[in-house]
Amino acid sequence: MAPTRTIKNKHAGSKSSSSSSSGPKRSSKDGIKKPSGGGGGSKGGAPKGKIPSKEQKGKPNFGQDKNKKKKARVYTEKELGIPELNMITPVGVTKPKGKKKGKVFVDDRESMSTILAIVQAEKEGQIESKLIKARQMEEIREARKAEAEKKEQERKAKLDETKELMRKKRKRSDEKNKKEDEEDDKIVKDAVMGGTKAAKAKGGNKKKTVSFAAE
Amino acid sequence: MRALTDEEMKTVLDKLANYMSDLKSLIAPLEDGDRYVFRLNHSRVYYVKLSIANLATSISRDALLSLGTCLGKLTKTGKFRLHITALPILAQGARHKIWIKENGAQPFLYGSNVVKAHVGRWSEDCPEHQGCVVYSMADIPLGFGVTARSTTEARRLDPTGVVCFRQADCGEYLRDEDTLFAG
Repeated sequence: MAPTRTIKNKHAGSKSSSSSSSGPKRSSKDGIKKPSGGGGGSKGGAPKGKIPSKEQKGKPNFGQDKNKKKKARVYTEKELGIPELNMITPVGVTKPKGKKKGKVFVDDRESMSTILAIVQAEKEGQIESKLIKARQMEEIREARKAEAEKKEQERKAKLDETKELMRKKRKRSDEKNKKEDEEDDKIVKDAVMGGTKAAKAKGGNKKKTVSFAAE
Repeated sequence: MRALTDEEMKTVLDKLANYMSDLKSLIAPLEDGDRYVFRLNHSRVYYVKLSIANLATSISRDALLSLGTCLGKLTKTGKFRLHITALPILAQGARHKIWIKENGAQPFLYGSNVVKAHVGRWSEDCPEHQGCVVYSMADIPLGFGVTARSTTEARRLDPTGVVCFRQADCGEYLRDEDTLFAG
């Protein structure tokens, strides 16, 4: 593996160097070399002749395969941007890279007062929101209470009304009953006073007249 | 002994801000040019003068038991727990206050919560679950706690209802004598 690689590199190197110096000449030489088998220039031809012969001796298609293999680059996971495995990483274990090791102390007055101001502002905000929330809750509670009271009053009023109505109804029926009773009493009285003459009794308020039948 | 990190400082100040309205006075420069700083030793946070803290650097960590005023303890989960020793500092700039009657002082100092029947007076507009400092009627700070109800809600509460959950009281000086300063 290693020697072929080096040879190839050499070949590529010489090719590149030669091409930089004289491009058209090279191509003509290569073209001549292959069919003739070393009939060209002795200086440039010797190394070039060696390379193809070696390739042919060892593995004829190996060089081509190698080229293909080299093209297929192996990418790392980071390069591809594939998400990492879903693993549990404890908070304390992962340490940010490039950060200095050890603790950073707060001892100067400026940084301390900065933290202090941040904390105090946060706390004030929290307390304020708590108070606002409490007030709102209180308002809702008051409104509910007022509503409940109103409902209770309405219910009471309705109940009173119904009671009154019932009472009136009862009164009216009582009066009617009383009248009927009185009438009944009267009838009974009349019946008692007038004996068994029910028809007479029916006469009501007619003045009693007594008449003797003429014989 | 070391200074606090950014995160630690934030945690400590956040807790103090629950009880105090004016935090800036904590780090204000003193007349003699000195100032107060926060220092950490054995997970305990101390509030100490810078000159004293500088002197204390000559003492090894293990040998240093305490310095300045111990504010509380940083737990292993990164939270901060205030100790009763921080009461004088909290009482200086208390945001909300509760004064308790004489009949309520003893139950509070024995570690129970504050009930409505024991409250002499309280500061207005105090929301629910907010830090407050508990005083006796003679304005002596007895401890601190967290309000159980807002002031308006607490008014409607029955006498046995809890108004403030105790966080620390002066009775701890006796009850937690062994663990308060070391261990």
